[in-house]
Amino acid sequence: MNSRGRAWTAAATVLLIFVVLCPVFFIVQMSVRTGLEAFRMPPTLVFSPTLQNYVDLVEGKFVRSLMNSTVTATSTTVLALLLGVPAAYAFSRARFRAQGVVSLWTLVTRMAPPIAFGIPFFLIYKELGLIDTRVGLVVIYLTFNLSLVIWMMRAFFDSVPRSLEEAAYIDGAGIAAAFVRIALPLSAPGLATTAIFTFLLAWNDFFYSLLLTRSEAVTAPVAIVNFMNYESWEWGKVAAAATMIMLPVVALSILVRNYIVRGLTAGAVKG
Amino acid sequence: MARIETTTERGLPWPVARPARASWSRARRLVFVGFLVPAMAVLVLVTVLPLLYLVVTSFTPLDLTNPASLRWAGLTNYRQLAADGRFWNSVWVQAQLSFWTVVLQMVIGFAIALLLNGRMRFLELVRSTFIIPMVLPPVVVALIWKILFTPDISILDWTLGLLGLPQPAWLADPSLALWAVIVADVWEWFPFVMLMLLAALQMLPGEPLEAARLDGASRWQVFRYVTVPLLKPAIVVATLFRLIDSVKAFPHIFIMTGGGPGTATEVTNFYAYLQGFSYTYVGYSSAIIVVMLLATLVMSLGILAAAGREFDVE
Repeated sequence: MNSRGRAWTAAATVLLIFVVLCPVFFIVQMSVRTGLEAFRMPPTLVFSPTLQNYVDLVEGKFVRSLMNSTVTATSTTVLALLLGVPAAYAFSRARFRAQGVVSLWTLVTRMAPPIAFGIPFFLIYKELGLIDTRVGLVVIYLTFNLSLVIWMMRAFFDSVPRSLEEAAYIDGAGIAAAFVRIALPLSAPGLATTAIFTFLLAWNDFFYSLLLTRSEAVTAPVAIVNFMNYESWEWGKVAAAATMIMLPVVALSILVRNYIVRGLTAGAVKG
Repeated sequence: MARIETTTERGLPWPVARPARASWSRARRLVFVGFLVPAMAVLVLVTVLPLLYLVVTSFTPLDLTNPASLRWAGLTNYRQLAADGRFWNSVWVQAQLSFWTVVLQMVIGFAIALLLNGRMRFLELVRSTFIIPMVLPPVVVALIWKILFTPDISILDWTLGLLGLPQPAWLADPSLALWAVIVADVWEWFPFVMLMLLAALQMLPGEPLEAARLDGASRWQVFRYVTVPLLKPAIVVATLFRLIDSVKAFPHIFIMTGGGPGTATEVTNFYAYLQGFSYTYVGYSSAIIVVMLLATLVMSLGILAAAGREFDVE
């Protein structure tokens, strides 16, 4: 490419980045303006930012919903890893006929809209008294997180050479010892990536929280919608809450940027 | 030594001393089975059983306000579904939403992937930027676009006015509301297509492209007859996943339009939610979802089969 073509590409790229990020900037700037000022048109470029919206949020009930989001997303991540990582290791190191079936089943569950699980879980939770509990959310998040962990970790284990484990066997180590002391430490980056991914998916969930919580266990994404409806469209506060729940997501996903596609197509593509 | 510890931990009775080859590999397999069982048991418990239960409730007139209504009613729900105009409307809305979001995401994603291909230094920054829309909580995406599409408070509205263009009330206009949802979804997910195709582009083998160029093929010919066929697997998978996810659209519609105005943006998924949890007809709602899930499954397998056949020909 000649230098003129290159300059055009660079310009187009910058423009593109701007267009893609513009909506995000829009909501962030809205969160640091007072209610009225947020909607003054034409938008004032010079304004004195205020943290009032954030202060209001922290003093209100929103903090509890943030806590709920944090606790449920963390718990489901730990649980999915505890169950899924050994299974992924087994799939990576041994051949099982079940593998094809599990893979196909993962695709089927990937196709199911959340309501397909929402209905039966709602009915069962009503019997068990698990509606509006964090435990209930943690369990239903396993419907997507467990297979995600299995397929992501399997790909990571596949890339760890077996020769080290085989050397350990010869030295008398058992399968489990080789797994814990050799394979796991070697796939630590993979573990971290997978953990971040499961956390993000649970953190971003809207539907299950909408359906299965009422007041006690409400997570942040649903809490935002609630004060949209009951606090007569306080856009500044809505924008501040949106900014608060998206910040950790953006930060964490930058860390795992090279694995996003693999995570979103877990089971089908080894990216 | 470690071996003895772990075997007793797992409680599996096999010889402690170094076993013969056959029993070693059998023991190894047993440990792996032990690794698999908990995950498989939970997977069955949280995915297989609930979906079976969903199929069961789809054959009942179950009403949330009346637990006694959990009784067999055969195909009643499915017969009603076939005659339900609102259901067919929702299928048509879904078809439009899926078609336009997938087509636009593929076209825009592919175009940008081609634009960015080869600019290695830029790539890292660009990749970090473009993943932002698709990792944002869907609620935030929906809120952003709801504000942008609301007249008077939106910078989009103001810009259109400045340019002398019409400033429609997007979300209140039945002919535009679906397009507002499409725009939000395309913004959120074209980076997925872009990143996937960009990764595929960068792994393309150099030789076929080089050979085609040496043979005097034009840039368009190289693209059409070499690049696109080589990218086909990535294109198929990206299309498949975007299609599958387009059928699951919920937060955008819930927050931006609530299915309205009227039923203009009421996709099947959302209609099932209303039937089940606004009108409490969970049995009927289950039937809608079962039909939808089967349709998605057939469609996906169809795409894979069609793509697979073409791969064989090549």
